[in-house]
Amino acid sequence: MFNLLSSSNIFYWIGKLISFINSIFFILLLIALSFALIFSPPDYLQGDSVRIMYVHVPSAWIGLASFTCIALLSITNFIFKIKNLTLVTKSIAPLGLMFTCLAIVTGSLWGQPTWGTWWAWDARLTSMIILALFYLGFIFSHKFILQEEKANKISSIIVIIGLINIPIIKYSVDWWNTLHQPASIKLTGTSTIHSSMLIPLLLMFFVMLMYCALIFLMKYKTEIIRIKKKNLKRL
Amino acid sequence: MIQNLLSMNGYGLFVWASFSITIFSCAFVFYKTKKTLKKYEREFAKEINELSTEKKELVLGNSKIASQVLSSYSKTI
Repeated sequence: MFNLLSSSNIFYWIGKLISFINSIFFILLLIALSFALIFSPPDYLQGDSVRIMYVHVPSAWIGLASFTCIALLSITNFIFKIKNLTLVTKSIAPLGLMFTCLAIVTGSLWGQPTWGTWWAWDARLTSMIILALFYLGFIFSHKFILQEEKANKISSIIVIIGLINIPIIKYSVDWWNTLHQPASIKLTGTSTIHSSMLIPLLLMFFVMLMYCALIFLMKYKTEIIRIKKKNLKRL
Repeated sequence: MIQNLLSMNGYGLFVWASFSITIFSCAFVFYKTKKTLKKYEREFAKEINELSTEKKELVLGNSKIASQVLSSYSKTI
């Protein structure tokens, strides 16, 4: 069991997984894009602008999920001091930031034809901007603080504070009057989205998750090599 | 049909801009991540090759990762 979790085994399986995802990714992307842009129907109110949902919603989900993941791993790392977890959080953060920014930009592009404005300082939009700032804080603390121990501590504190923002983002549309519509997809209770739109949405989400896995594995592999390279210099 | 797909009943600019920005950002991050990984692999393999035979054997014997990187690097050149 421990042999399976050794870094050389993990490194070997990362290589295999990268090749596997690379081999099926473009086919899945083409299928998902065809559904999102061609086969899914336009909305009866929003028309074809609803297609922006297929990139906006998965981006926002990934942005939120990545931050929650980083925060939980940071808390675990804070308590148990597992060095591998720092590598994992450092590899996830740039992806989370990118998808949060994409959610904001595509949301703005959706807002113009739907609300008549590119931007409004409403609760959902503002809390997403705050999330992006927390991501930046986490990434910059690792980039600019040279002492690794100190960088880990400060970045952990940043994400633990930032974790408070996650339920605020989720429930902002229920707690305050916002331009942003309430959630159409609910884990508990009935969703208000038709299956003809839900299937392309889930397909796009799956493809984006595959992309995240690919980038994460490549970044993780880079971090392992960086550490090995550092150790080589000590010889 | 292509005209309809491009114009999206007047929403084409917003829809295509959203998809384009997402795809280009993802492609850019993929390209940068892959480039960085290849750079580190190359540098690591180069450093191993520059070691004395004794040290090189020691490193390759102790680290499976080093031998994996070295073999994948020699496959690419």
